[in-house]
Amino acid sequence: MGSGDGLLEFVSGKGFRKGWTTFNIAFFLFFIILPTVFILTYAVTDWSEIRDHVLNDPATMDLIIGAVVVSFEIAAIVTVIDFMAGLPLAWMMARKEFRGKQFLDTLIDMPLAVPTAALGFSAAIFWAATPNPPPFSLAVISSPMVLVILLHVVFSYPYMVRSLTAILGGIDETYETAGRTLGASRLTAVRTITLPLFRAGLVTGAILCFARSLSETGGTIIALATLYGRRMVEGDFHTGPTLIGLWKDASVSDASLLPALSFVSILLILLALVLLLVLKLVIMRVRLPMRKVWPTPEKLLSRGLFPKLKDSSALLFLFLMVLVPSFFIFTYVLTGTPSQADWGPFADALVTSFVIASVVTLIDLVMGIPLALYIAKNRSGKLAQLLDVLVNVPLIVPTAALGFSLGLFWSNFDPNASVPMVLIILAHIAFTYPLVVRNVVGAVEGIDPAFEETARTLGATPLQSFRRVLFPMIKSSILAGAIMAFTRSLGETGATLAVVASANTAPVYIVNLVNQQSYYLAAMACIVLIIISYMFMLLLRRFTREEVV
Amino acid sequence: MPSVTLRGIVKRYSDVTAADGFELTVNDREYLCLLGPTGAGKTTALRVIAGLTVPDEGTVLFDGKDVTSLEPEKRNAVLLSQTYSLFPTMTVADNVLFGPDIRKVSEGDKEQMLVSLLDLVRLTSRAESYPRELSGGMQQRCALARAIATSPDVLLLDEPLRALDARLRIDLRRELKSLARTLGLTVVHVTHDQDEALMMADRIAVMRAGRIVQVGTPEEVFNEPASPFVANFVGQSNFFTGTVVCSGPDGAMVEDHLGRRVKARPTDVPEGQKAVLAIKVGHTHILKREAASLHGRIERMLFEGRVVHVDVDVEGVGRFSSKVPLSYHGRYRVGDEVGIGWNRNKAKIFPYPEGGLQNELRVD
Repeated sequence: MGSGDGLLEFVSGKGFRKGWTTFNIAFFLFFIILPTVFILTYAVTDWSEIRDHVLNDPATMDLIIGAVVVSFEIAAIVTVIDFMAGLPLAWMMARKEFRGKQFLDTLIDMPLAVPTAALGFSAAIFWAATPNPPPFSLAVISSPMVLVILLHVVFSYPYMVRSLTAILGGIDETYETAGRTLGASRLTAVRTITLPLFRAGLVTGAILCFARSLSETGGTIIALATLYGRRMVEGDFHTGPTLIGLWKDASVSDASLLPALSFVSILLILLALVLLLVLKLVIMRVRLPMRKVWPTPEKLLSRGLFPKLKDSSALLFLFLMVLVPSFFIFTYVLTGTPSQADWGPFADALVTSFVIASVVTLIDLVMGIPLALYIAKNRSGKLAQLLDVLVNVPLIVPTAALGFSLGLFWSNFDPNASVPMVLIILAHIAFTYPLVVRNVVGAVEGIDPAFEETARTLGATPLQSFRRVLFPMIKSSILAGAIMAFTRSLGETGATLAVVASANTAPVYIVNLVNQQSYYLAAMACIVLIIISYMFMLLLRRFTREEVV
Repeated sequence: MPSVTLRGIVKRYSDVTAADGFELTVNDREYLCLLGPTGAGKTTALRVIAGLTVPDEGTVLFDGKDVTSLEPEKRNAVLLSQTYSLFPTMTVADNVLFGPDIRKVSEGDKEQMLVSLLDLVRLTSRAESYPRELSGGMQQRCALARAIATSPDVLLLDEPLRALDARLRIDLRRELKSLARTLGLTVVHVTHDQDEALMMADRIAVMRAGRIVQVGTPEEVFNEPASPFVANFVGQSNFFTGTVVCSGPDGAMVEDHLGRRVKARPTDVPEGQKAVLAIKVGHTHILKREAASLHGRIERMLFEGRVVHVDVDVEGVGRFSSKVPLSYHGRYRVGDEVGIGWNRNKAKIFPYPEGGLQNELRVD
């Protein structure tokens, strides 16, 4: 027995396992949840401030209520649009075989590779009716709300399609076939048999989309700044997160804004939490009108032109509403007026961003996978169920509010933000960690525990059975989580700025360029960021493909 | 190879008691079948032996040594699950060598082991296939090879033949049994199929509701059931409820409320006590109406190939079933009044069960 065996023995022991699990849960609670909701304590400690400066100030209250209501309206509309447009596409991906399916599969994920800052800019110059619209742009949207909705659809759509495809793929088609042999038309069978079965996927998709829309800050700010042609001010159209962004910036010099800032953050976090619970409960409980059938019209709709129409409009939506706005920025290469610039600062920012994203992803994986395993394997335990709900919290908290809360929390330990990089990394971990955990929990739950149990009886220690049996089976989900975490970190603006106002990451750099109206440079920076992210994603995809035996 | 002893095992889940203090000893090199209806706690018993489930109470002994809290990987008791759990990301060869790999067996020994094991289970040509490319029978054999490759002391089989079609299942019964004997393994085989248990086991332990109700050789369990439940679960019985009216060394009689008397072998149940008589379907004969004290009307007849299954409705008792040779086929028709009889030595008397006969016979 060498010392290596001794270590393995120790690591496999019950005592160590218990300690390790406790450590992981503690990490999750202290580094993820506590900082995220830390701002809520301000409702207690600074209540008098909030009362005097916010609740008793009708103008500020109006601003806050207006912005929060708008945020929820947008998130709801976006989720509905995503579902309506995403379902037909998810259906094609899950059930049909056609040429170019692989290609389409990659296309759907492409907006995820684009950092939201770049996405916001790209979508804005495509849609927004600005004084000098670039060539080929539609330039038809002058309503800020419509613009934000269109933008949010772009980056939440892939989440909806992915969630729905995953669940649809898992539903046995024989149910539907059985329904059809019993005389139901295709549409009736799908609606009454298959749709009710994938409520779970719908919940996941809806929560992801709703949360993404509700929490997005950086892209929204850029899109609106592009529409207005200047930095945003208080009188502009605001969503909750953009208001936080605005006040956070201003609070550096004007401390009287802090109570209002805390209040809007608290409001958004609380409402988002309530909503998460409601969505989970409502979608699982509500009875959709699934029983009733309308044989004749449904039969009609199941045949001939209609299905083709449905498929082609789904594809059209993907291209026109999602892909073109995402990549419209590339037209700048052709049509923009090149301007001389110093690329040094951008290169620095890019390196910083990649370092941060890599470290963040690594920590997410190391700390997130054990927690995910704990949640997935102790499904019946109360603690695991609680953790499962808590994990979603950072996903639905607006990143600007999250960043603000994190900044406040960590400033207790490091008041001068002496190591800004560490703060940014901690902030990014908070909102990317749940992506890894979610993906891994989903994958592990789909795997029969008998595999690992058999491995144990064949003589494998828990660590060996994870590495040799479970890990190869969930590798692709781990990588999917890692891709999401990495790209989210790479593209995040709001939280970064909220933690460290002077942060030097690539998306922040782009936001500054847009605010200075250096559009050409901003576009070039976006393109570089997109290309690098995309190459990174392709690389990871290749990795995952190999594993699918 | 060790003997396995379970003492006073209790395992409760929030609303079910899967093991309610059961006791069991599996002898060295014995092939023991755990037989019982679904939900009787058979799989829990197996998992407790494997170390995958820690019992709330009780001890597990291997060769007299307490292993109750020993990790599964240290017990050398291999579980072969219902679905085989072949690792989908590994080839047949990698699956088989999983255990030896972990034990760091040398390459040369592994190679040799693989060749002989694949030969044993006739999968040599499929060494590089992935599990999903194999048929059900091949998967089963691959899982078996993987289990044997770790040279286990105890082999735990959880309904190992369940997923196979009927013909293959019967072939594999014989194969599995002879393999276990050749390798001198201690085997615990969980099944709900009485034929499988009767054919394969050295001893059968009949389980019900988290307890072991009887342990014995297949003959004992079949011919000397410990309770009406066992009488019915192993080889289906007909029941006649009444009072013991006379009991002696030559035999006993049970009389029901209509005054009908039927005979049975000697019993310990005292005269005058309420009792139930059990007679195996296979020992129940259809007679001429006049020749028997018990009669009824033929309800239906089912052609089963070599025999015909006959259900007779007996007034005040219910259905009596019998299997008659095919040659009798033309002799009776549905609706005929017939008599029912049996050899008195085949009929056994039990005290009337406390919860009622229906409750005693329930299989859920």
